[in-house]
Amino acid sequence: MTAVTQQQPLLEGRGVSKYFGGLAALSDVDFTVYPGEIMGLIGPNGSGKTTLFDCLSRVQDISKGQVFFKGEDITRKKPYQVAHLGLSRTFQIIRVYNKLTVIENLLLSQQWRNKGILKQLRPSGQQMEGRAKELTDFLLMSHVIKEKAGNLSGGQKRLLEIGMALMPDPDLILLDEATSGINPTLIETIKDRIRELNSKYNKTFLLIEHNIHFIGDLCDRVFVLDYGQKLAEGTPDEIMNNQAVIEAYFGADGDEGDDEYDE
Amino acid sequence: MVKFVQAWRKYRLGKWALALLILFLFLLPVPQFVAPEAKLVTNSLLFSLTQMFMLIILASDWNLIGGFTGYYDFGHAVFFGLGAYGTGVMMAQMGWAFVPALLIGAVVAAVFAILLGSATLRLRGAYFSIAMLGAFVAVREIIRVLRPITGGGSGLTLPPYLNRPLFYYVLLLFMIFVVWVIWWIRRSEFGYTLIAIREDEVGAEMRGINTTLHKIVVFTLAATFTGLVGGLWAYQNTFIDPDVVFFDSRTLDMVLATLLGGLGTVTGPVLGAVLIYWLRDVLWANFLQYHLIIQGLVLILIVLFLPEGVLGSFDPNSGTRIGGWVGKILREADGETEETANAAESVEAPV
Amino acid sequence: MNQFLQASVNGITLGGFYAVMVLGFAIIWGVMGVINLAHGEFVMVGAYLTWFLNKQYGWEPFLALLVVFPVMFVMGYLLQKILINRIIDRSYLISLLVTFGLSIIISNSFKLMFSATPRTVDTVLSSFWRVGGITIPMAKSVVLIMSLLMMAGLYLFLQHTRRGKSIRAAAQNREAARIVGIEIAAVYAFTFALAIAFTSASGTLISPIQPIFPFMGPALTLKAFAITAIAGLGSIPGVLLGGLLLGLIEVFVATYVPGIGTNLGVVASYVLLVVVLVVRPQGLFGSLRPAEG
Repeated sequence: MTAVTQQQPLLEGRGVSKYFGGLAALSDVDFTVYPGEIMGLIGPNGSGKTTLFDCLSRVQDISKGQVFFKGEDITRKKPYQVAHLGLSRTFQIIRVYNKLTVIENLLLSQQWRNKGILKQLRPSGQQMEGRAKELTDFLLMSHVIKEKAGNLSGGQKRLLEIGMALMPDPDLILLDEATSGINPTLIETIKDRIRELNSKYNKTFLLIEHNIHFIGDLCDRVFVLDYGQKLAEGTPDEIMNNQAVIEAYFGADGDEGDDEYDE
Repeated sequence: MVKFVQAWRKYRLGKWALALLILFLFLLPVPQFVAPEAKLVTNSLLFSLTQMFMLIILASDWNLIGGFTGYYDFGHAVFFGLGAYGTGVMMAQMGWAFVPALLIGAVVAAVFAILLGSATLRLRGAYFSIAMLGAFVAVREIIRVLRPITGGGSGLTLPPYLNRPLFYYVLLLFMIFVVWVIWWIRRSEFGYTLIAIREDEVGAEMRGINTTLHKIVVFTLAATFTGLVGGLWAYQNTFIDPDVVFFDSRTLDMVLATLLGGLGTVTGPVLGAVLIYWLRDVLWANFLQYHLIIQGLVLILIVLFLPEGVLGSFDPNSGTRIGGWVGKILREADGETEETANAAESVEAPV
Repeated sequence: MNQFLQASVNGITLGGFYAVMVLGFAIIWGVMGVINLAHGEFVMVGAYLTWFLNKQYGWEPFLALLVVFPVMFVMGYLLQKILINRIIDRSYLISLLVTFGLSIIISNSFKLMFSATPRTVDTVLSSFWRVGGITIPMAKSVVLIMSLLMMAGLYLFLQHTRRGKSIRAAAQNREAARIVGIEIAAVYAFTFALAIAFTSASGTLISPIQPIFPFMGPALTLKAFAITAIAGLGSIPGVLLGGLLLGLIEVFVATYVPGIGTNLGVVASYVLLVVVLVVRPQGLFGSLRPAEG
């Protein structure tokens, strides 16, 4: 975890805004993520975190502003093109393919690396299956590899989603509440894995998280959204002691409604 | 029962049964050559089976786009019509031989599928279904209007060529080929990419899959097969006009067969097509007046009471009573022959 | 110039019929989420009822509304209770297939009963009005006036009566409607009955100006879908504009495309449908309810 400055940013947003009708889910959000960082994204419910992820992975149109990934403008790219550039993500509401097996789920999320549909007609690619096996070992799931994803527990599904995000060997991984609804042991496992991926393989992470210890332990920097606007940015310690953030979370009109913008 | 399942797996009886069935179908017309006067196998039986093979191919095609990819095409017979007219126009108006004319028919269907699919496959859900239904009706009217080329409402007559056994063999081989291709697709990465598109298209897109390209490819493949069947049908029927080719219930037959057999399985449409063909034969023979009405009723009854299809109801994961019973037997059988179990079953279960 | 005016007048009268024809389709879709592929068959049924009263008892076609509307209201109510109720919450494939099956059953039953021969209905309103160089058949102008009256009536009903308001509430948010005490099942049954009655009544309107045959339904269903797609759901003025647009396009294609024009009506509406769906999936005048699920 080195301090990163003066580098070319891996991901950069300039004035990113998203309007739903008259409602501004995001307004003028600027952010930068540098290579090799683990960055946290926090904010009260409904503050626009998931909307931001949806904009970055391009399933939502960006109303205003620009996003650059590896120096390339991805504001108008298609979701699959963004994925091909090396940006992958997980979902707040788990999105694995229940009717496919674990290994099929993993192979699927990297299938585009085959370059061309004809090559997909082979029953399976050996070297890729090798990678999928490696990943299941890494995520402690090798015993359920032939199981249908629908039969997995919630925690295992989270792990599988992380595996699917890692399959194409991305540079930046967006994790949307990877720890929600799973047991503490598994949270530790996920934490270890993220750390290992970051230090050993130099993967960059941007993670939405409600678990404040998770953020404190892992993140180099954190930025805070509230009502679609950037409230603060800094190291975890700075953020925890920031008066505006504390107010946003616990303040008098701290809106703890559960109206998250997602599907 | 458990013993039977174990024996079935141990000796790969499924494969043997399939091989025997195919052998039987290949040998069936032989008495016709050896001793035609004995009338063991009549031309009309061969003709019936040929029609059945066609329905199997058509249902399998529909299943490819409807069952695997989740895009319910309510006008898929448009490609049958284009194949038939592509072939028919080349033969009747241009005097081409059958084989090159058939290829033109297939190309017409494929090109139209690419053009039409690029527009309609962007639509989700019912919008796609109805846009395709619209395409079907529109193409029928266009063909009626283009009288100088298509003969309009009075149709075209193709040079007659009445060799039933030959058509029988061609369709048998084509059917085996199509089912094999679909079985292969189901096992391949391409196949489960299609299933991923059906289950969660936006998710697949975010995982780097160019879903539009996949949809157009599979749509075009299904359309090409359907177009080839259309061309073969035109030649065999020796006459085409807009109403017999773009017959209202042609798409219905495909949908019905697929649903009855089991949506999204390889063998479902085959089984369903056999059942539907048999049902239609019985209806035609006994209730000619009412056969479409009964077919409509059957459709409603299947949809309401057998949504998983015949084959799907046997799937342990379907939640049906039969499914639970099958699951129990399979689990007991698994207890002793663990390793042989997975390979065979995973391909056939509806997904 | 005369030709242009004549085409405009014909287009507007046809469009007025389309607008009233499509209402029932749009209501069932908007309120219950069911795309009724048997829609055109109900128009056909209304037209045949009118033809029957006309031939058998010499009724004036517009008078038949007094029978068609209540009879088809009851039919719609029963159909909803027996069949449609089972498919409301299921995937759209189920509702498409069930209504598709229904359309086949209805059209073929009518073919059995009345044969496929096209039928015409006689009316005393067979004279013409001449304004300048254009002729306006009296029957068509009455159809247009009746269409507008029916639409206005439905509009007022939905806006100002308690029943109408509960239908609109159910269309917008079923859960919320249930919470405020609206009996959803009753609303659905009433809505379906009303929509079918309207649809069949539009069949009465069309009977004096077009031949009637058992398989006239699918083309009408398709046009209903096209107009709904253009108009968006939940907007009666939108439906009127969509209907007029389609009517004008069809008549102008028929007038100005030499030789083959008349048959291209269906094609024109189809092309319009695909263009609108691809370019502006939420409709030109409103928002469509998502058809997935």
